[in-house]
Amino acid sequence: MSVEAKQGIAPLRIPAGLGGLLPALILIGLFFVVPVLALLLRSVTDPAPGLQNYAALLGDVTYARVFFNTFLVALVVTIVTVLVAFPVAWMLAIMPATLASVLFGIIILSMWTNLLTRTYAWMVLLQRTGVINRTLMGAGIIDQPLPLINNLTGVTIGMVYIMLPFMILPLVGTLRAIDPMTLRAAALCGASPLAAFRRILLPLSLPGIAAGGLMVFVMSLGYFVTPALLGGTSNMMLAEMIAQMIQSLLNWGLGSAAAFILLVVTMALYALQLRLVGVRRSTGGA
Amino acid sequence: MKLIFAGILAGLMASTAAKADEMVFTSWGGTTQEAQTKSWAEPFTASSGIKVLQDGPTDYGKLKAMVDAKNVTWDVVDVEMDFAIKAAKDGLLEPIDFAVVPKADLDPRFSNENAVGSFYYSFVLAWNKGAVSGEPAGWADMFDTKKFPGKRTFYKWSAPGVIEIALLADGVPADKLYPLDLDRAFKKLDTIKSDIVWWAGGAESQQLIASGEAAFGQLWNGRVFALQKDGADVGVSWNQNLTAADVLVVPKGAKNKDAAMKFLATATSPTGQAKFAEASGYAPINTKAKAEMPADVVKGLPDAHVESQINLDMNYWAEHRDEIAKRWYAWQAK
Repeated sequence: MSVEAKQGIAPLRIPAGLGGLLPALILIGLFFVVPVLALLLRSVTDPAPGLQNYAALLGDVTYARVFFNTFLVALVVTIVTVLVAFPVAWMLAIMPATLASVLFGIIILSMWTNLLTRTYAWMVLLQRTGVINRTLMGAGIIDQPLPLINNLTGVTIGMVYIMLPFMILPLVGTLRAIDPMTLRAAALCGASPLAAFRRILLPLSLPGIAAGGLMVFVMSLGYFVTPALLGGTSNMMLAEMIAQMIQSLLNWGLGSAAAFILLVVTMALYALQLRLVGVRRSTGGA
Repeated sequence: MKLIFAGILAGLMASTAAKADEMVFTSWGGTTQEAQTKSWAEPFTASSGIKVLQDGPTDYGKLKAMVDAKNVTWDVVDVEMDFAIKAAKDGLLEPIDFAVVPKADLDPRFSNENAVGSFYYSFVLAWNKGAVSGEPAGWADMFDTKKFPGKRTFYKWSAPGVIEIALLADGVPADKLYPLDLDRAFKKLDTIKSDIVWWAGGAESQQLIASGEAAFGQLWNGRVFALQKDGADVGVSWNQNLTAADVLVVPKGAKNKDAAMKFLATATSPTGQAKFAEASGYAPINTKAKAEMPADVVKGLPDAHVESQINLDMNYWAEHRDEIAKRWYAWQAK
């Protein structure tokens, strides 16, 4: 590791063993780099050379609204996911190993179930005539069905559910690495449970929250199926808009430009994640 | 490693391209494509020996990509008629070989140089009898939230239909619909926007109505037909039913053009059309087909409701597709 760090910006030297990586690099080059370059090219050449596609995207109220929606949904989903995932992760971190592995199995199992199936299951639960509304109305708690679907609420519920494993798994790793004795020491020094959480547990778990949170945020930005099925038309996100431009309007230049903007934002966030997690680790790692 | 690589590449290149005695038919999946397979593809294979591979769903982006890349793996594609008119203008379609496909009995409303009718359908007003008290009489009632409370469902995509419904409900006479007054239509739609649930596909429209999630809506008549056949308590009004059509096209540079033309001849034949109509509830585009169908099936077709029928103007839509779409999605996103 230290050798790598020293090399820094030194001229690129082909490390030994790169030959084995060659197939993977070719694969990435052929199926990722080339299409992305083609995408970029199309966004500035279709229908005519120039930046008019970007100008159209950035200068239009509708598209601005879709961009705003995309970031709003991703942000809300990330925050709610962190709030739900933290207690679960903490529980998994401190419970006996055998029980924890069973619960892990359940969480991972949900990731293996088809995404569309899980989203449809939420439709059945959330709609006006769905299980939740019928139960609440049957119990006399509400008179009118709650609007749980075709809006931001529906998108948030469906997406948080799908994103939870991606938040819980890194968080458990971080929480397990925290010495429980630090909390006991805090209590012995007179800290209330809340203070111990706020001043000991939370700061120590920040790298996990940052890693999981950024992953969830980045994944949410490009989400398609769940917002399309559980959201309303006023919650349209970028991925759905791109699909519309490509598939039904056949406006490939505009779609490419939108896709490229999304890609750049995602890459920037990913770079931020690498930096953040790297820095935290090097400063906080004992 | 090299071997694996070569294998992957070979697999990719083979894709779905059909061999000489095969062709690929692409449609929208679900009950419609099943009926097309049974009514057209199977008899065609039996008589010609040409195997018909099924693919789907239809994707206009994919079609354009294939033609642009000159690697067309679809031979016959079921598309909406307004798209077909536009695609022909953009040079994406082969002309139909009417020496192979008999033209005389085809309904002229749904065929042109580059497309023959697949089937035609009507948008009708359907409702869940348990969720609606009384009987909605026409499109205007879908905009009357006092008399008919509850969610209403409309087709989500920018396509012929909803704009016209709004204008008719607002009192525009049927013969004055075109050119479409978009401002007026969106203003009318604004009045019920918060009560609209959008359906993106046929199965979704059925689920919404059957469950009562939406009290009523604008549905394809074939989907209502299927619901009623399954015993769902669903009412239907044919008042001002709006016709539109799917057409069959051959993408430019299709590899099995000859087989494709022969397939079109079978699909548009009186027998092919009669069988498909019987299975789907959609109307035949061959005027001789009705003679081959049972009387009770004919009664349920859009053909039986021509007196109050309005033809959506596919040429108008083909011409203004992009500008309407832009306004449509902007309005939806608001």
